[in-house]
Amino acid sequence: MKQVINLELNGERYEVAVAPHATLLEVMRRELGLVGAKKGCDTGGCGCCTVLVDDRAVYSCMTYAMTLEGKKITTIEGLARDGKLDPLQQAFIEAGAVQCGYCTCGMIMAAKAFLLNSRSPTEAQIRQAIAGNLCRCTGYRKIVEAIGLAAR
Amino acid sequence: MAAAPFKQYRSPESSQEVVELLTRYGEAAVLLAGGTFLHGLAARGLMSKMEALISLQKAGLDYVKPQGGSLTIGAMATFRELLDASPVKGRPELGAIADALEYPPPQILNAATVGGSTASAYPLFDLPVALIALGGAVVAQGPGGRREIKLEQFFLDYFRHALGKGEFLAEVIVPKLPDRSASAFLKLETNANDLALLNVGVRVTIDEEGLCRGAVVAFGGGIGGVPVRAATCETYLEGSRLSAKLLDESAQAVTHDVHPISDHRASARYRATAAKVLARRALIRALARLGLEFG
Repeated sequence: MKQVINLELNGERYEVAVAPHATLLEVMRRELGLVGAKKGCDTGGCGCCTVLVDDRAVYSCMTYAMTLEGKKITTIEGLARDGKLDPLQQAFIEAGAVQCGYCTCGMIMAAKAFLLNSRSPTEAQIRQAIAGNLCRCTGYRKIVEAIGLAAR
Repeated sequence: MAAAPFKQYRSPESSQEVVELLTRYGEAAVLLAGGTFLHGLAARGLMSKMEALISLQKAGLDYVKPQGGSLTIGAMATFRELLDASPVKGRPELGAIADALEYPPPQILNAATVGGSTASAYPLFDLPVALIALGGAVVAQGPGGRREIKLEQFFLDYFRHALGKGEFLAEVIVPKLPDRSASAFLKLETNANDLALLNVGVRVTIDEEGLCRGAVVAFGGGIGGVPVRAATCETYLEGSRLSAKLLDESAQAVTHDVHPISDHRASARYRATAAKVLARRALIRALARLGLEFG
């Protein structure tokens, strides 16, 4: 049986009816039309569904929507401000850190959570921050460079 | 697409209310903690007959409290909250906890809970093995009140634990360990988001003469349905004066205690060989936390 809950997503409030087992990823993609977070493995192994809940990175594929009332959710769609890309998005472009693009949104959100609390990270710290995100194209080097670039 | 499970979502606001709901729904209810394990089961259709999803989110169980040298961890404390808790930081005897929580990626640290990873009774998880090394116990709360169950008696088989009808895992307790104790944990994995091929948690206590006055060596991962203690190895260590040679011999002895499985990820022979190496390295790591170098 669905219940109506309020979600705060990218600063907007949404009233949405969700089933007990519905994940945030399903609600975003099917109900709210937010398709930035991707459905990859759907079991918390690939990271391309990563979003922020109260500024912390989580896998939206295994976060139950019902548990999110009163929490602040940020997705890739919420990063740009007034038509201007977030420094991380810009850095991914400048460093050439995008190939097929499927991992990119999750990668940027994992990096976003990390940079909120880390001003001048080492390469090892950056690599640990994206340890929960798989990329099958880039070999990670350009992604690590982009995150380092955004941190400066 | 798995069949839709759960007709009801409930979010009780006290442990008492959790017990009432569990009693009412019986076998048709599943508890939700961080969701990181449950979702995997649901995605495989294993929750399709379940009626009620009972979230522990609002039950007031997200704490990490020091109590006279012991540590009481609420079931809903996340891995991140445990790792960042001041009673855990820099304490040699709790090193195994910090080690075990170095492995998960941030997304899991932020969501997975101490209670969920324990109550799942999944022998490939890391934290339960670290907690066994520390002599950990769970507090089961149910219709008859609260009772403590040592972790070694808590795990019965794959996905099976010692909780009775209407009971749930409310807390994990790490007892006060003797002075000059230290612990460590190590995991063998194939990538940063992998379940353990094998893992080991160790705890040693050394007296002022340099003799070992207590040792626990516990293995998880691909060794069967429950984590196991390496009794032969522990017997080698207890009462002995530690040396590099003794650590080698005791680590070799785990062959008598650990009988790994073969699966598509690793052969039993490989795991058995790795068990000896991991035991030795974990002991060296724990002893280094007491300023004793054997590496």
